[in-house]
Amino acid sequence: MNAFLKKEWMEWTRTGRALVLVSVFVLFGIMNPAFAKLTPWLMETMSESLADAGFVTTAVRVDAMTSWAQFYKNIPVGLIIFILLGSGNFTAEYERGTLILAVTKGLPRQKILAAKAALLYGSWTVLYAVCFGITYGYNAYFWDNGIAEYLLFAAVGTWLFGIWTVALLILFSAVSRSSSQVLMGTGGVAMGVYLLDMFPKLDAFLPAKLLKGMELMQGVSRPKDYYAGAAAAAVMVVLCMVLAAKCLDRKQL
Amino acid sequence: MDMLTLTHVAKNFGEKQVLRDVSFAVPEHTVFGFVGQNGAGKTTAMKLILGLLTISEGEIMVDGTPVRYGNTPTNRVVGYLPDVPEFYSYMTPSEYLRFCGEISGMAAKEIKSRSEELLRLVGLKGETHRIKGFSRGMKQRLGVAQALFGHPKLLICDEPTSALDPAGRKELLDILTAVKEETTVLFSTHILSDVEHICDQMAFLHDGKIALQGPLDEVRKRRKASAVTVETERTEDAELLRQKFPYLRVSGKRSLVLEEAERLPEVMYYIADRRLEVMRIERQETTLSDLFMEVVGK
Repeated sequence: MNAFLKKEWMEWTRTGRALVLVSVFVLFGIMNPAFAKLTPWLMETMSESLADAGFVTTAVRVDAMTSWAQFYKNIPVGLIIFILLGSGNFTAEYERGTLILAVTKGLPRQKILAAKAALLYGSWTVLYAVCFGITYGYNAYFWDNGIAEYLLFAAVGTWLFGIWTVALLILFSAVSRSSSQVLMGTGGVAMGVYLLDMFPKLDAFLPAKLLKGMELMQGVSRPKDYYAGAAAAAVMVVLCMVLAAKCLDRKQL
Repeated sequence: MDMLTLTHVAKNFGEKQVLRDVSFAVPEHTVFGFVGQNGAGKTTAMKLILGLLTISEGEIMVDGTPVRYGNTPTNRVVGYLPDVPEFYSYMTPSEYLRFCGEISGMAAKEIKSRSEELLRLVGLKGETHRIKGFSRGMKQRLGVAQALFGHPKLLICDEPTSALDPAGRKELLDILTAVKEETTVLFSTHILSDVEHICDQMAFLHDGKIALQGPLDEVRKRRKASAVTVETERTEDAELLRQKFPYLRVSGKRSLVLEEAERLPEVMYYIADRRLEVMRIERQETTLSDLFMEVVGK
């Protein structure tokens, strides 16, 4: 399996995918506090035109929460970009037939799945940590992170949502033949869950709850409200992986 | 001992029956030619042997072990060269071979020496560019190298010479003959002359069944002798030849066809003796359909 893992790593770096993703997540990491820092200046510059519209700008107070709000707005975008770039991971190999030579050498299909999954989960974790770390660092420097409650818990929650989405990506990759099918499947389910989340009764049990990090940090909700959503996500991840393994075994390469 | 046996193998894709009742055996350390027209089912049969397709009926054994769909253990002793090999274009040849070696669990030192050996054999030694820029012929050569990498007991090649120029084709056939000592070769083709050059045995797939099989000598006997065309510079010379050799058939103003190729020396002796000016003397290759017509027409 190590050999395949090495090959996956080579693929991500040599095709430029790794570079693009690292750049995007680092950029977001910097943009979050940057936006917060620039808000007062922006407000000042726009105050005249705002006044014409009837808005009166008073003193603008900016703190770490402004930056964190940006973080929780930008991270889903980062996730979407990640999924877009990862959608061809399996399907490109089906199309070109490159897996056939590996399989005919006796490499078990499970190991192929394990290596690809490891890199997908691993890179999401690293990229997320990088973005989070940068934002956290700047926030600590300019303001004070102490005002946010359950900072780490909220961060882990959103990370878990990302893991859940990646599990969907892997499942659809094992089942479909083209990257567009993978995107439709992953996007469809994620969107569906997000929409269902609008119903207050379902809200507690859906993985989409995990995206609501700001509520937690502002003290509007408590960690225990998130346990059901997290459990649902974790169970689904396991289910996706098991199904993916079964489907890949039977897939005609 | 037989390295590969197919017993009453059938394969259908829905309603389409591609293989009906295929049975043949490939003895160890032979080069076996698997011949058939385009669409006969050669690639399908090979994919069944490799466990890449599910079998509808029958059994396939490689080195005494049955073949299973999906993760078949038999693939550890098989080397496969597809008809259009596709690699990871961002790798160099040696990186790709290292990847192959690592998958098979070979030690690093062995991987290095085997890579050098095989790259030299296929003429890719010293090639440090990425596979992305490779021509089809170069990809084919790398394909042979990766197929032979793990010292396979059975080497399966799907139309290996189709992408190569005449020089490359000869080189590849030489390689296949050379590796006969170490392994057993099964290759599919629709080029009869390739089969004639290097195969010990052959099987002809048609209509889902094996229409003809056996050692090449037997098959040769059944093959119709090729006709020869003689074309002269001047019409009078052609007329002259026709009169002298009545068995020559007229096929144009200045060309004649000699059906019985054994008589060619007589005709050539006459031409040389009289110093007749000749445009060409050409032997018509027996095409696959000729042989096939002969066999199936019975």
